[in-house]
Amino acid sequence: MSFIPGMGIVRGMGLTLRRFFEPKATIMWPEAPADIAPKYRGRLQLLYDEYGTLKCETCFQCAQACPIECIDMGGMDTKGRFHVHWGPPETYGERREESATRRSGRPVADPAHVRFDPLDTAALDAILERHDYDPKAMLAILEETQAEYGYLPVGALKHISRITGAWYAMIYGTATYYRHLRFEPPTVTTAPPAGEAHRAAEAAFRDALGASLGYGASDTGHVGAAS
Amino acid sequence: MTLLGRILVPLLFLVIVVGPVLTVLIALFIGPWLVDLLAANIDIVRFVVAVTGVLLFSIPAAFIIIYMELKVIAFMNLRRGPNRILPAGAAMSVVHGLKVLTKEDFTPTGADRLVFTWAPVVVFLTAVMTFMVIPFGPGLVGQDLNVGLLYLFAVGGMTVVGLLAAGWASFNKYSLLGGLRSAAQVVSYEIPLTLSVVGLILLAGTMSVYQLGLQQSGWFWDWFVFRQPMGALIFFIAATAEANRTPFDLTEADSEIVAGFATEYSGMRFGFLFFAEYVNVFIVSALITTFYFGAWNAPVDVNGLMAWLNANVGTSLQPLTVALDPGSLGVGLLILLIAVPVALTLLFAAPFYLIRTSKPAWQALLLGFVAFNLLAGGALFLIAYIGLDWVAGLLWFMAKAFAFVFVFVWMRGTLPRVRIDQLMGFAWKWLLPASLLNLFATAAAIIVVKSL
Repeated sequence: MSFIPGMGIVRGMGLTLRRFFEPKATIMWPEAPADIAPKYRGRLQLLYDEYGTLKCETCFQCAQACPIECIDMGGMDTKGRFHVHWGPPETYGERREESATRRSGRPVADPAHVRFDPLDTAALDAILERHDYDPKAMLAILEETQAEYGYLPVGALKHISRITGAWYAMIYGTATYYRHLRFEPPTVTTAPPAGEAHRAAEAAFRDALGASLGYGASDTGHVGAAS
Repeated sequence: MTLLGRILVPLLFLVIVVGPVLTVLIALFIGPWLVDLLAANIDIVRFVVAVTGVLLFSIPAAFIIIYMELKVIAFMNLRRGPNRILPAGAAMSVVHGLKVLTKEDFTPTGADRLVFTWAPVVVFLTAVMTFMVIPFGPGLVGQDLNVGLLYLFAVGGMTVVGLLAAGWASFNKYSLLGGLRSAAQVVSYEIPLTLSVVGLILLAGTMSVYQLGLQQSGWFWDWFVFRQPMGALIFFIAATAEANRTPFDLTEADSEIVAGFATEYSGMRFGFLFFAEYVNVFIVSALITTFYFGAWNAPVDVNGLMAWLNANVGTSLQPLTVALDPGSLGVGLLILLIAVPVALTLLFAAPFYLIRTSKPAWQALLLGFVAFNLLAGGALFLIAYIGLDWVAGLLWFMAKAFAFVFVFVWMRGTLPRVRIDQLMGFAWKWLLPASLLNLFATAAAIIVVKSL
């Protein structure tokens, strides 16, 4: 047929006319929902920024959305001080089981690693009792904990998580959100001020000097007055 | 209230309140005088009415064609096209027009201000002026010039002046290239276009466009396309090029010369250029319809068929006529006008309310009102179609013209753009000899037929 001039035009016109009556390929989003598998969560990928550091800021959103809880999230907090972890503590083990970790090529956890200092939780238990173990009163609990201990020890947060059933990551998120909550003891100036060390040596020297001059050792505190 | 509501409520007010008031005022005070004036068929009155009608008609026609283009090409690409504004995006082109109106009207530095400003007007006016001699129906022609075809080609050829002026005045190389291309293209294709119609003039023996329409009355085989098939084909191709449509839309080839002569235009001037293009599409379709596809004539000659049946089969069919004399009803007419809409609305609303009781009463009433309006409109239209020649003619003319508009859009959805050398080569090497051959064959055939 191709030897007839104009046949290509006729065939093309026929094609477009057929297309005119065919069902349309447009997906009528948002009226019609997209045809996506219900468990689809998008593509999970860890991205690096231009300096080669991970862009992940340990927000736990991926772990929270994970339907089969297969994401094991852990990392340093945004201030680079504490190791934070996703999920109820009792599930750490099954997700961090040594054989699983070893098989997946992740760094194997050191069982001797102590995550936080042990804590005397008697006062904390009293606070929790007062608030009826209610996770909704978390801010009040955290504030009173801080008033009790002077800061929010990691052990206290873990304990609150275990007792109230609130996820540790949520408690941690709440605690990091408020500026007046802190994770380390306030910098109390318990250390002797600068110069104290050689002042002691000076006192000893003065004692020795006073003894040699005939003063009593008890008067050494008033050297300035004496001189 | 939504944006649409804010627009519609004042419009609704206008339609409901101002419309009847104006109608009553016109009917009471200037109605008889207006009817007398129109019936007297004075040239100047006819001209003014025709110009008003044409100007009013060209805008919705262009809107409809733009919408058609968006929607038809989308459907051919397996897309849905505009679907957000009104059902199926019907007001899309109107919104386009409003958008163009609100844009800044910008004149580039170095442009020839006067020419730059007036070029779109020239382009648009030449397009609209062509409407003057197009017969939309029996008696529905602005001016029945006895040199109508000459007028058509003279005015149609003036488009190139506007395009060239727009391209030259823009002070832009792309614009100039677009203008030059359009000049070369339109002037080249003017020749086969005119020559293909000369055969038609020989056949019809007249240059009046209205007479061409009259000569094609009867069955569809009386149309000139069956006596001038080659002429019709040449006219179609050349007219495509004249209207700057795909595959001959080199003047605004955006992959080569940005937007051609329209590159520097913005706002409503740009709108004028593109309105003119779409009006041109309608004009070309209307011309093809008028010249070759029977103008306003229906493809079936009902009266002829009935006469033939009465003569040969023995039936006694009479032409259908509608004789309505509403004035004879007197006061009854007033009661009818008031009572019938209410009664029929209630009647049509009843099934919606009774069958689906979950539907609120007001929704049922609304549906009933819509149904009544559809019925009344359909009935009025049917009566008008049977009783008035020009309504039937207008309907057929519009149907045919928009069928050709569809063909143009269809071509745009299918064919790629040709190269400039292919374009010129096709005009001079193929179309011109073909149209000369057609002219020669027509003339020879006429001589042979007359000598027999």
